[in-house]
Amino acid sequence: MSVEQQGQPLSAEDDVIIIKELNKWYGSFHVLKDINLNVKRGEKIVICGPSGSGKSTMIRCINRLEEFQRGSLIVNGVEMIEDVKNIEAIRREVGMVFQHFNLFPHLTILENLTLGPIWVQKKPKEEAEATAMKYLERVKIPDQANKFPGQLSGGQQQRVAIARSLCMSPQIMLFDEPTSALDPEMIKEVLDVMVELADEGMTMLCVTHEMGFAKKVADRVIFMDGGEIVEQNTPHEFFDNPETDRLQLFLSQILEH
Amino acid sequence: MREFQALPAQPAPVDTVGPIGWMKTNLFSTPINAVVSISIFAFLVYVLPDTIDWLFFSANWVGSTQDVCSAEGAGDGACWVFVSAWMQQFIYGSYPDPELWRVNAALVALGLVIAAPYLLPKHFRNTVGVPLFLLFPFIGAAFLDGRIFGLEYVSTDFWGGFSLNIFLAAASIIIAFPLSFLWALGRRSDMPFVRSVCVILIEFFRGVPVLALFFMGSVMLPLFFPEGVTIDKLLRVWIVLILFMSGYMAEVFRGGFQAIPQGQYEAADSLGLSYWQKTLLIIFPQVIKVSMPNILATFVMLFKNTTFLLIIGIFEILNTTQTALTNSNWLEGHAAEGYIFVGLVFWCCCFGMSMISSNIEKKLDTSHRS
Ligand SMILES: Nc1ncnc2c1ncn2[C@@H]1O[C@H](COP(=O)(O)OP(=O)(O)OP(=O)(O)O)[C@@H](O)[C@H]1O
Ligand SMILES: [Mg+2]
Repeated sequence: MSVEQQGQPLSAEDDVIIIKELNKWYGSFHVLKDINLNVKRGEKIVICGPSGSGKSTMIRCINRLEEFQRGSLIVNGVEMIEDVKNIEAIRREVGMVFQHFNLFPHLTILENLTLGPIWVQKKPKEEAEATAMKYLERVKIPDQANKFPGQLSGGQQQRVAIARSLCMSPQIMLFDEPTSALDPEMIKEVLDVMVELADEGMTMLCVTHEMGFAKKVADRVIFMDGGEIVEQNTPHEFFDNPETDRLQLFLSQILEH
Repeated sequence: MREFQALPAQPAPVDTVGPIGWMKTNLFSTPINAVVSISIFAFLVYVLPDTIDWLFFSANWVGSTQDVCSAEGAGDGACWVFVSAWMQQFIYGSYPDPELWRVNAALVALGLVIAAPYLLPKHFRNTVGVPLFLLFPFIGAAFLDGRIFGLEYVSTDFWGGFSLNIFLAAASIIIAFPLSFLWALGRRSDMPFVRSVCVILIEFFRGVPVLALFFMGSVMLPLFFPEGVTIDKLLRVWIVLILFMSGYMAEVFRGGFQAIPQGQYEAADSLGLSYWQKTLLIIFPQVIKVSMPNILATFVMLFKNTTFLLIIGIFEILNTTQTALTNSNWLEGHAAEGYIFVGLVFWCCCFGMSMISSNIEKKLDTSHRS
């Protein structure tokens, strides 16, 4: 789908996500402080930062799993407002992959993948299944189509979760620590799928501490701390010349491991 | 699923096997245990022979009047002739003889409707099975009534016996299913009005004793209807049972909701499913699954509670039994036989249901969870 069809304002024709002055509180706790972030179509962004810094909260605002109190957010030309139609429209364009996969345990893999296309996009079942099989091939587990999620390994489940999002042909993919619940030997198979996806030009926002992945695919790496975006840069500059003390400290901590 | 390779079994140490070993570990493990075991054993030896004799060996099994039991040379045990002579009433109430096939047909249909999820191919489960299930109480009632189907009209005054207990319990839980799910949903709602209405409904129908509800249903409910409109007594009872059952099931469902991880809602949301799609396609099936054992337990309770209906003059099985006991041809005191029979019938049904429920539990335990 081209940018013009989305009816985006001309001034930001390349920006699929525009976050301005976004603020969020949990009660009196200020989780997100004046977040400003523009994401270009096709851009790959890796977000890192210490635990509790608000990374998940920020990307979950983008598909309205979290609401925010102040600021504005435009996703793919649609402004996020308190309106069910608007929210559903945005969610159709944004896929999300969770740390704990969140597959539907009572449905087979194939049914997990076709649920969205059939019920949200109103596609005929056969077409949805054909698409689903195509994506299962891409994540290399077409032979598991009729099993249930509980019968798959963690790495397989996460690849199914990615395929499930892709079946909705999203414009943007959000990843919230997709590999941190996985055993080491399964991390690679999931990262491989994500790298492939990045190579195909998908717009991606990924919270992860896999620095190898960040160096390989990211156009920009963002460091969050205490609810703020503290620093952002190309991976090369980000890792080799961190500007702030906070990032230096953070990098030294994660590189120790 | 993973394959497990069982280790070869090893023979158990000698003194833990066989009846002796079993008794050693289970009956005589401590001195107190041994004393208790021996006294219970002595009590059984004292009571059992007479009881068994009364129940079986000296009992009178064949005949059709109570004279068989009081005749010269008749056994002095139980008079099962009483039960067999009244069997039809115990099961069908006073439903007219030539129409009894309708009750049988309805019972079979009920069995089929309940088994439908297992019998039907998956594809028809939602499109055929569920509507059939939800419509069964209405179709079944109309069929027993007969007028709509062009059959002979049988007023609800003649419905009765154990079949009525079954129909009332089944028809109530079937309607209570969707209703209580809505109440449970409402209780979780963000809308204060919806939430408080649901909380009040649930707590009211759970908090008031079922007997009081029955009296309210038979005495108070008519007051709410305009003058001249009479609502069938059985219909009122049915409504009361539905509401009572819904109160309990809503709480069962609430527990089920709590077992569903937040991630399921988030995954459904992020796919762009609407509220109702999310609730019916993702949450409902999982809630039903985890709640199934509790739903069955609640149903067993409701089923037994249908005997309370004798107090407001519904001719369910217990009432039928009492009527039979006061019949002028059977005045020689067969209460024990009558109540043992009723107890046995209920025990068989409830035991069957708990077998099914533990079966389901086991199935759920091993099946695909993530
Ligand atoms: N529902 C909530 N209510 C109150 N506080 C919350 C809630 N959810 C998150 N928080 C707080 O908001 C802060 C940011 O949480 P968030 O999950 O976004 O952190 P994160 O950067 O993703 O951390 P992690 O790396 O541990 O996942 C944390 O301090 C957390 O305690
Ligand atoms: Mg997080």
